[in-house]
Amino acid sequence: MAGLILRRLFMVIPVLFGVSVIVFLVISLIPGDPARAILGTFATPANVAEVTRQLGLDKPLPVQYVIWIDNLLHGDLGRSYILHKPVIDEIMARLFPTLLLAGAALVLASVFGVLLGILAAVGQNGIGDRLITVVALLGISTPSFWLGMLFIFWFGVRLAWLPVGGMTAMFGGGGVGDILAHLILPATTLAAVAGAVLVRLTRGAMLEVLRQDYIRTARAKGLSERRVIYGHAFRNALVAIIPVIGLQAGFVLGGAVYIETVFQWPGLGRMLVSAISTRDILLVQGGVLVVASGYVLINLLTDLAQAVLDPRIRTE
Amino acid sequence: MSPMMLTRRSLLGSVAAVSAVGLPRFSLAQSPADVLVIGHVAELQTLDPAQAVTISDFRILINLYDGLLHYKDGSLDVEPGLAESYEVSPDGKTYTFKLRKGVKFHDGSEFNADAVKFNFDRVLDSKHPYHNTGPFPFVFTLGPIEKVEVLDPHTVQLVYKEPYAPALSMLAGAIGGLAGISPAAVKKFGKDFSRNGGGAGPFKFVEWVSGQRFVLEANADYWRGPPKLKGLVFRPIVDENARVSEMQSGGTDITIEVPPDNIAGFTSSPDFTYYQQPGPHLWYLVLNTKTKPFDDKRARQAMNYAINKGAMVTDVLKDTATVASSVTPPAFTWAFDSALKPYPYDPAKAKQLLAEAGYPNGVDVTFYVTESGSGMLSPVLMGTAIQADLAAVGIRAKIETYEWNTFLGKIIPALPADVAVAELSFMTQDPDMHPALALRTGGAVNSGGYSNPKVDALIDQGRQETNRDKRAAIYKELQDVVYDDAPWAFIANWKQNAVSSARVKGFELHPSFTTRFYGVSKV
Amino acid sequence: MSAHALPLAAARASQRWMFAPIWSRLLRNPMAAFGLGLLLVIVVIVLLAPVLHLPPPEFAQVAQRLKPPLTPGHPFGTDQVGRDILSRLVWGTRLSLAVGVFSALAASLVGSTIGLLAAFRGGWVDALLMRGIDTLMAFPYLLLALAIVAALGPGLFNAMLAIIVVNVPFFARGVRGAALSVVQADFMSAARLCGLSDARIVLTELLPNVLPGIIIGVSTTIGWMILETAGLSFLGLGAQPPQADLGGMLGDGRNLLQIAPHVATIPGLVILLLAIGINLLGDGLRDVLDPKLKAGGIARTKARTASAPASERRAGLSPPGADARLPLAIRNLKTEFRVRGSVYVAVGGVDLKIAPGEAVGIVGESGSGKTVTALSILGLVATPPGRIVGGEILHHGEDMVEVDLRRLQEVRGGKVAYIFQDPQTTLNPLIPVGEQVAEVIRQHQGLSRPEARRRAVALFESVLIGDAIDKVRAYPHEMSGGQRQRVGIAMALANDPELIVADEPTTALDVTTQAQVLKLLNDLRHERGAALMFISHDFGVVAALCDRVHVMYAGRVVESGSVKDVLAHPRHPYTRRLLACVPELGSRRGRVAPIPGLPPSLDELPPGCAFAPRCELVTPACSAGDISLDEVGPGHFGRCIRMDEP
Repeated sequence: MAGLILRRLFMVIPVLFGVSVIVFLVISLIPGDPARAILGTFATPANVAEVTRQLGLDKPLPVQYVIWIDNLLHGDLGRSYILHKPVIDEIMARLFPTLLLAGAALVLASVFGVLLGILAAVGQNGIGDRLITVVALLGISTPSFWLGMLFIFWFGVRLAWLPVGGMTAMFGGGGVGDILAHLILPATTLAAVAGAVLVRLTRGAMLEVLRQDYIRTARAKGLSERRVIYGHAFRNALVAIIPVIGLQAGFVLGGAVYIETVFQWPGLGRMLVSAISTRDILLVQGGVLVVASGYVLINLLTDLAQAVLDPRIRTE
Repeated sequence: MSPMMLTRRSLLGSVAAVSAVGLPRFSLAQSPADVLVIGHVAELQTLDPAQAVTISDFRILINLYDGLLHYKDGSLDVEPGLAESYEVSPDGKTYTFKLRKGVKFHDGSEFNADAVKFNFDRVLDSKHPYHNTGPFPFVFTLGPIEKVEVLDPHTVQLVYKEPYAPALSMLAGAIGGLAGISPAAVKKFGKDFSRNGGGAGPFKFVEWVSGQRFVLEANADYWRGPPKLKGLVFRPIVDENARVSEMQSGGTDITIEVPPDNIAGFTSSPDFTYYQQPGPHLWYLVLNTKTKPFDDKRARQAMNYAINKGAMVTDVLKDTATVASSVTPPAFTWAFDSALKPYPYDPAKAKQLLAEAGYPNGVDVTFYVTESGSGMLSPVLMGTAIQADLAAVGIRAKIETYEWNTFLGKIIPALPADVAVAELSFMTQDPDMHPALALRTGGAVNSGGYSNPKVDALIDQGRQETNRDKRAAIYKELQDVVYDDAPWAFIANWKQNAVSSARVKGFELHPSFTTRFYGVSKV
Repeated sequence: MSAHALPLAAARASQRWMFAPIWSRLLRNPMAAFGLGLLLVIVVIVLLAPVLHLPPPEFAQVAQRLKPPLTPGHPFGTDQVGRDILSRLVWGTRLSLAVGVFSALAASLVGSTIGLLAAFRGGWVDALLMRGIDTLMAFPYLLLALAIVAALGPGLFNAMLAIIVVNVPFFARGVRGAALSVVQADFMSAARLCGLSDARIVLTELLPNVLPGIIIGVSTTIGWMILETAGLSFLGLGAQPPQADLGGMLGDGRNLLQIAPHVATIPGLVILLLAIGINLLGDGLRDVLDPKLKAGGIARTKARTASAPASERRAGLSPPGADARLPLAIRNLKTEFRVRGSVYVAVGGVDLKIAPGEAVGIVGESGSGKTVTALSILGLVATPPGRIVGGEILHHGEDMVEVDLRRLQEVRGGKVAYIFQDPQTTLNPLIPVGEQVAEVIRQHQGLSRPEARRRAVALFESVLIGDAIDKVRAYPHEMSGGQRQRVGIAMALANDPELIVADEPTTALDVTTQAQVLKLLNDLRHERGAALMFISHDFGVVAALCDRVHVMYAGRVVESGSVKDVLAHPRHPYTRRLLACVPELGSRRGRVAPIPGLPPSLDELPPGCAFAPRCELVTPACSAGDISLDEVGPGHFGRCIRMDEP
């Protein structure tokens, strides 16, 4: 197992390198002059040139990349020239809300997705199955941002059951209950699509596994149907489900961009959208790099989780 | 009454009680009566007024920093601020300020002439040890300052290289707040001053949580006396729909910039107060005077006739703006030519002018539209409506939409040759600035490449004339010339708006587009 | 391989069925048909857009803005600049649909090319391409799209490009995986040996094999593509005004949700409908094309085999009499598979009795019904599609077909235990083998975990697995085939069963191991006095182990009797041919003579003797009517009209 972890960690390095190159290249291609963004509407060309030079943006791209990587390896992602603070500070401030939102959405999606998927598979063609299947179909067919809008409109404004946005109340906020109340709508919205995907996948995987010979063996041993389904079938289905949960983590992290915007969640997604619009290149680069690295880490974790679950992968 | 009836009635009663309470409604922990929560359009970028470039930053900073001068309530006339009095030399080049005594910065250090000099030197002198805390992009609006001299601990003198009539107005504006920065704070924080700040205004900085809130507390030692509110909380809510939802659900006490379509919902409710204030703003279309078709004055006038500005202002902007007539906004009451009536909506006349200019079969143009942007109101919507109006007279406009910064990069300093029209807007504090930058030959944002010696001369005269009545006459003439020559299509002058809960008292929007919370209270 | 797979004949029939036109198969699926219908309606409407007399979608009348639905002239109302929403909706859907289809096709084309190239070339090309793909996949999906659009600038084309780029990796990976298994197949090396050009091999051999997967990918991706492009348009990065696409319309309407909800709600609903249509159709196509699902979709197998009501099953059955005292008495068992309107009679009336301690063999070719007979005993035939329609299965007089599930589970693994054919697939791959053995002990003896484990170790020792203490912790894949089958035996013996049903337990093993395992099974069985039902296609093995033997063909017993009698005097021509297949037991004629022809399809059994078409001795009378199982000697039965002939 330790060897496996080391091997996978080693494989992550070239991927991270590739990620850094892509992040740097793509973001550097973003049109619009950061110097102009700093200087505001009516900057003179001379001012723009001056600031461009100060920022080092007049250097050739490869040189900029090397400088960026060198700083990166020293834990320095540069200084946001719009927010006037180190990029790493801003990212750290935004990290927890995003982790909370994406984490909650992923947990919701996984728990409900897998649970409903199992229920649907076990009661295949029954009324529950049909209901779950239809809901899952709606889930994968609904634009999440649209769903978020409707949620805000109904549960936030019309019924006023839940706060319409933000992460904490401005006064007396910050408690667990307060954050949870703020979390419900955005997390549910974000979880809807991912959950629907998982329902469909789990249902399919369970049905597939239930046809396997070892399930017949389990039944031949006289095990109760509950043991057969949860002790034998589910574990095997999970091997197929876990990588998809990892994939959904990616969808959730990406979808957070929309949801954080719609729900004013103070996370990395909203930071990125606004940083893109203000051409805060270092902030965008840092943010995308952190999110992508986080996602690489998640993939690593799903790989390992799969290995923990499936001895065949462990000894591969 | 039978027991049966009683039971039934009490049952009904309890049902009624439940429905009166309604379904469980989520309520934010009630905000304290002495703290105001403001729905703010953007995340704050900097706490340094010398570095700030956006109106949304200035709206916050105006509460932290006092300048040497203030604007009076409800007008763009100046009154003393940190300076008790001021004096302008007859040649219009030297401004002497007597400073208020006993004023302390938030960090306890003393406000005096040395502090003022430090602040101006920091932003003007590239060799100043703290010049590297910049850049200071808007400082040029203060004019060509040659030097700052300390005459005594409470007297300071600004010496200009040449007469600069807008100086007083600019010093009273938000950028003028840089005069009231605490030098001790700049020295203490260096580059991080922009994250910590330090002034002598009515509120002081407490907390800044990215994407969540920016908190100020009352400055108990404020020289005009402590503010009525104990604190201000600015919530950055970029999305306008979210701003409206938060206001409706009680998440904010006051919201600046409510989308026009949502105004009716607030004005019809007794729970809210609606505010509106015209300011010096112009929304216009830059016409490329260097290339066809708008190298011809008749084609430019045709644009002005073709667009139904009245319908735009009423139907699209829901009366959050008025129809513009020329380059100077009516908010500059003293300089505005009220006799000049806007171009009427007259598609027939537009067609005729277009034909005279040589386009009897209409013309194809490229039209740059921005997605958003400071002061741009609803640019996509307005662009679309304009496109439809233009199509009706044969000007077939192809819209290209760009994100704000990209947009600016594309149109400044000049429109590309193949682009005939672009949206733009301008907010200013003096009638000099906009024409000087955008109409004067070679001006920094003269995107249309407009050049008219008469206009250039009027701009130069107006800048040097210190007598306000004489200045006013110059600007009125400028408006007439520009109206006729139509380098732009003049569309609208915006009225800033805001909505607060009815609990908020004493709030007023200011023509400078800033939000001043010193006199505000909450009941 | 799997006894759950349909009998051979049924599989063949499903192959035949595969050639039915895809569309008709698709339409038989009501959900897919609904999706297709929905999509067709939408497509027809948007294709007719130019002739529908709608106002131009970009025609704005500011004075007419935000009219509610059902306004005269504007059935869906107008938007924020007074454009007709219906018209924008129709044109917008046209655009979104076109973008979705085009991006899915483009992504699949590029992705598949990369995948095929990587799989076919292998080596550094593969490594390079796949690292690139890995890197792209390291980005959260939408984030990469967002960054790309931000870099390229907003616009529908750029948004489409971004969506294509982020979807390429999925196709590349999927196609590479599918292609790799083909590349390693024999016919590919054959094609290479034939000197075909690489391009030709890829296009004519490789592509057709991965094409169904690509089609499934495309059909299930279009919906995503539409949603994603809508998302980018929603953020203002996609379609630019005044062009209408669904996401852009949604974005426009977003700020109007409170004052004019229809502006955002209507396009949202259309996206929803469109996506539902596409997803349903995609699911349907997948069901039709995916080889795993082709045979009729995946159905959840039930806890026990379904059965006809007792009165129906027992019609014409005599009372059991003394059979009720036997550990097992199968009486006139009929088990069917019902697949898509066809009925396959896998077991067509089998009688079989096993006395305490007795070993009975069942011999027959694949598809003869022997495994289904064995699985029917404790209701282990997969349902659907299996169903016991006739007869009863008595275990000490208790009909196992009708006892309640709890009682059935008590017998399963308790008094009656199974040993299955292929321990590779019949052991749970994720659970240590010792745990799997201990589980059956705990289930039936209620022992604690450590105790059950100790018993498992003892059992491992008794089936002669060396290092039993360590081996209990091993996983199935860590053991050899022989060891795995010993685990299977240990599992069967765990609760001292009265009867062991062994279904070809050694088929998967090499000859030496086979002999060892069989000897072990036989020894232990004798030691414990358990009866044995032993299923094999190998007469030799049955002869060595069993007291009596039943020969099955096409779901029926054609001959039964003591091993000695049947070996010495086989009466049925089929038995004789089977015996001829066993070289070491036959006379020294030496050669194995395979039986010509194939068994009949079980859904179209011929009248009379099912073996007639392959029989050397066939006469017209063989196919005239049902042939009974007649006694030809003491305890020796045969089902042939010519068996009394010399």
